[in-house]
Amino acid sequence: METLHVDLYRIAADIWNAMLGLDLEPDRPVDVHAPDERVVTGTVLITGDWEGAVTVQTTEQHAIRSTGLMMMMEDDEIEEEDVADTVGELANMAGGNVKGLLEGTCQLSLPSVTSGRDYHVSIPGTKVVQRSALDCEGQLVVVSLLQRQNGAG
Amino acid sequence: MNILVVDDSKAMRAIVKRALSKIGRFAGATFRDAVDGQQALAAIQEDKPDLVLSDWNMPEMTGIELLQALNDAGISVPFGFVTSESTPEMHELAKTHGARFMVSKPFTPESLDRALEGVV
Repeated sequence: METLHVDLYRIAADIWNAMLGLDLEPDRPVDVHAPDERVVTGTVLITGDWEGAVTVQTTEQHAIRSTGLMMMMEDDEIEEEDVADTVGELANMAGGNVKGLLEGTCQLSLPSVTSGRDYHVSIPGTKVVQRSALDCEGQLVVVSLLQRQNGAG
Repeated sequence: MNILVVDDSKAMRAIVKRALSKIGRFAGATFRDAVDGQQALAAIQEDKPDLVLSDWNMPEMTGIELLQALNDAGISVPFGFVTSESTPEMHELAKTHGARFMVSKPFTPESLDRALEGVV
């Protein structure tokens, strides 16, 4: 399978701008989360003629801020499931936009969401082929494209 | 006006309703929520809305399955999709089943307004 190249920054920036009213800045110098930082990751899988995944990872602080903006809620009203719902939907939109660029027939999974400290999300048989580290109000947002490798699985 | 918003994401239902509320002709509309196609079908059978905006990819019953079920039941209602997946094949399938519009996520109140022109 040929490696796919997409403009992850443009996809994410459009989502953040339209859905949250926030600007995303590209090329953040510090592009990894600190081990002690709580991080939320939304993942959607793409299967079919092209196989892989899209992940959206950000700090819990930014995830809560995004939830408040999307749901018009104050921070103290927000439940953990609301944050998961929001980050899952951000990943779903990113994945849907990537899927729209693919040729052939593909299916998008429902999003799954993971949160915690110092963890790594990996999907067996895939590797990260593109990664975009972005900044939103001083918070790190990482959007990654994972692609199934030939012969895997 | 009675509008049914169908999406498994609470965040997205909130965004869709907020965007609609910013469109003048929907000011004062009453909104109902459904979290999947099955719940939406029951809600529509109980009280037919004036407009249905549905996600495509949902658990239990997808948006296109909901539209098929409405067609099978002989229920006609202005229906369209608000979805992050938007391929030409999906557009064609939606149109074939009678969907009146298809809005891609992310969207703005303006793009939603344009998509809904002439629908209601």
